[in-house]
Amino acid sequence: MSVVWRRRLLSVLFLLSLLALWQIVCFLELWDETLLPTPMQVWQTLSAGLADGTITAGIMASMKRLFTGYGLSLAIGIPLGLLLGRNRLLDDTAGSLAVGLQALPSICWLPLAVLWFGLSEAAMQFVVVMGSFMSITLAVRDGVKTIPPLFIRASRVLGARGWFFYRHVLLPASLPTLLTGAKLGWSFAWRSLMAAELLYGSVGIGSTLMSGRELHDMALVVAAMLVIVAIGLLFDRVIFQAGERYIQRRWGV
Amino acid sequence: MAVIELKNVSRHFISDSGVVPAVTGLNLTVKDGEFLCVVGPSGCGKTTLLNLIAGFERPDVGKVLVGGVEVQEPGSDRFVIFQEPALFPWLNVSQNIAFGLKVKGVNDAEQKERVCELLQLVHLSRFGDAWIHELSGGMKQRVALARALALDPAILLMDEPFAALDAQTRDLLHEEMEQIWQRTQKTVIFVTHNVREAVRLGTRVILMSPHSGKICREYPIDLPRNRFLEDPDVARIASVIRDDLRREAASVAEGC
Repeated sequence: MSVVWRRRLLSVLFLLSLLALWQIVCFLELWDETLLPTPMQVWQTLSAGLADGTITAGIMASMKRLFTGYGLSLAIGIPLGLLLGRNRLLDDTAGSLAVGLQALPSICWLPLAVLWFGLSEAAMQFVVVMGSFMSITLAVRDGVKTIPPLFIRASRVLGARGWFFYRHVLLPASLPTLLTGAKLGWSFAWRSLMAAELLYGSVGIGSTLMSGRELHDMALVVAAMLVIVAIGLLFDRVIFQAGERYIQRRWGV
Repeated sequence: MAVIELKNVSRHFISDSGVVPAVTGLNLTVKDGEFLCVVGPSGCGKTTLLNLIAGFERPDVGKVLVGGVEVQEPGSDRFVIFQEPALFPWLNVSQNIAFGLKVKGVNDAEQKERVCELLQLVHLSRFGDAWIHELSGGMKQRVALARALALDPAILLMDEPFAALDAQTRDLLHEEMEQIWQRTQKTVIFVTHNVREAVRLGTRVILMSPHSGKICREYPIDLPRNRFLEDPDVARIASVIRDDLRREAASVAEGC
């Protein structure tokens, strides 16, 4: 058996034993069933929700918001980061503002967002963007600043200027840090969206969790939590690991 | 015909201990097709001299002319090869070599053809698809050379390009460098701290003096090609230069 498979098996075994522990605690009836749902209840709620489409619809709605918001964050964050890394004046002004604003949990923008955009998709996407684009900007900026000066000199000798220089030297040279920033931005975006959906729910996986709370259906709450974890894990494993492999092949680190 | 002229060039740096002159009142003429080697103790302004010609730095006083035109900024007519190969890790070997052609907007088919020729020239035909981190130090420096030659610059500026390589690889690259120079007739300025390397490669060696940042001596090298590092004539001339170099270094030590 290869090392990879052994490690995978180990992580599956670990999760199964956690599940078993949960089941044991439920058997012991330490807490009332309404406080701690059993794995079976959660499974039934989850499969029912997936079958009748209520949970699926929530996932789709949340994903749509996330892709729009995160996409916007990347579209703003990456070019801004490249500029901040190259321009000291911009860095001292907009850069320090970004550092300051990063200390602000994005959900704090919700009251203003609702005021500006109404109770709408745009308000939630605004919160997502505010939550994630600055961490992407700052990571790209740091990436640009740590590019070996020799790369910049070599590219100037090769004649790269202006747009070509940004597109074919700065951007690819800062890819390793950019990926770290994109990952961080993704997790901020995901958290911001969940917070926004909890506070202002229409359809969405965060709203599903909230309705579980209102109906005192803890099985639904836990089911929604599991879905949130699964989506986060999926993106980390599929998209970001592919990015990491891409970088590993080229940089050889 | 003179391609590079430095006229009364001075350049200084400001450090914590005050103004440090790197180059003072330097005059130098380099003829077309010359292989000029610059030697001198560390801190004598060798690299500054190269940076001035490359256009990375501007002189405080005096003029740097290339082909009769004053140098304003770096350009692909004066290609710099650094001690570190400075290849781009996000591109493979072929893409690195083609980078300058891509900047110029050369079409794909022509790029491919040119890269193929250059890979052959530097004996790396099998490594076109390799990533940079998979190459040895000598191979990297060959790729850097091919990337420079892709743009067919009239002048190659080399800043201790083989200093980080092992002796065997360096021997091999000396040979290749000599052949490429003979074939392409480029003007080369080659900075090194290795006196024997300078004599083995150059048509002329200049010795820079540390305290004045000037050229203190010149040695035309008329030995026949192809030369070897172990040639008795190479060794003889190198030892003369080395003695002068020691005397220069000693005079600085006394001055302190």
